Amino acid sequence: MTDSRQKQFEEIVEKFVELKNTSELMMDLAYSSLLLDSKYLAEEVQRLEEYVDKLHTEFELLVLSSKFEKEEARGLLGLIRLGVVTEKIADAAAEIAEVVLRGIEPHPILKLTIEEAEETVTHVQVTKNSSLVDKTLREAKIPEETGMWILAIKKGDKCIRPKPDSKIQAGDTLIASGYAEGEDDLKKIAAP
Amino acid sequence: MSGLEKIEYKPVPAREILLEMKNLSELMIDLAYSAALFNDNELAEDVLELEKRVDTLAYHLEIIIMIAARDAKDAEALTSVSTVASAADKISDAAADIAAIVTQKIGVHPIVSEIFEKVEERLVKVQVHETSVLVGKQLSELKLAPRIGVDIIAIRRNKDWTLNPKKTEQIQNNDFLIARGAPQGIKEFRELAEGKQRELED
Repeated sequence: MTDSRQKQFEEIVEKFVELKNTSELMMDLAYSSLLLDSKYLAEEVQRLEEYVDKLHTEFELLVLSSKFEKEEARGLLGLIRLGVVTEKIADAAAEIAEVVLRGIEPHPILKLTIEEAEETVTHVQVTKNSSLVDKTLREAKIPEETGMWILAIKKGDKCIRPKPDSKIQAGDTLIASGYAEGEDDLKKIAAP
Repeated sequence: MSGLEKIEYKPVPAREILLEMKNLSELMIDLAYSAALFNDNELAEDVLELEKRVDTLAYHLEIIIMIAARDAKDAEALTSVSTVASAADKISDAAADIAAIVTQKIGVHPIVSEIFEKVEERLVKVQVHETSVLVGKQLSELKLAPRIGVDIIAIRRNKDWTLNPKKTEQIQNNDFLIARGAPQGIKEFRELAEGKQRELED
């Protein structure tokens, strides 16, 4: 396989990985929105659902414009179907978030099912003068310092699921949950 | 159609059914992606089997929800439960769609798997051989995560699935273990389970 061909495939897979990860992050956020009865999170899920639609279109266009050989068509069809599934997952997450936006009070059964101890959700935009800028999550030690757990990092339209080596940049919005006391501590280090 | 379980009311707590539906649907998605990306027919068959289980659970939960609603207020609150159940059901259907890519022999371009493996962790299913050092050990004794970066996320024993197994769970001969990890750790894990590697290094 030629280098340019390899690069083309890498681009397609990169887009797919973003689709897959975003749809999975949405499920987490949707369950959390329900558990914490958080309109902010629910709206974020709805926004991401539109973002995934856009991403999905870009992904499909990439696959279709890859000028595949006849014998490659099957493998690419499989890939297109994977893309469709990420969108279905995103839709399911949006439906869960809709419960919150419609003002239905989550039934106590749900609190027993979605086992997480958090009591609040917050979001804060990281300012340039924050000590967190250019640190990875591993280095930032946010849970140790604040008791808050990072649910997602918003970078422009993108929203990523936090990994230990995810890097925090100025302008990122950290979405975090935890006990209410930690909220101020997080704001102090992210936007001093 | 044959092979479908007959639906009868069972007095099981709604919480238990919903929890199982949620956990199964999440496991299925992970299994299904691995099945499709690494063209693993056996994993795909597991997903299709679990999908039937989730469908059956959905019926049971619906019956329980209907019985639980005594008035309009109950019914309102229970819509949140049925919405989550329906979302879990849709996700399990989505996982089955992925599995079908494998079982219908459509497949995913091999180069995709190759690139994907570089950026994402993968799941494997291995059967524990009688000569494996894992036999008779509790998960907590093995410390697989710190040693080789592998997490056992489910165990299949005959027809029964244990999701998110407890630390005290003991591995038995012939168990199928579903594990997640980076390629090198996964390779080592497979050798341990198959009895080809007899030592767990620190």
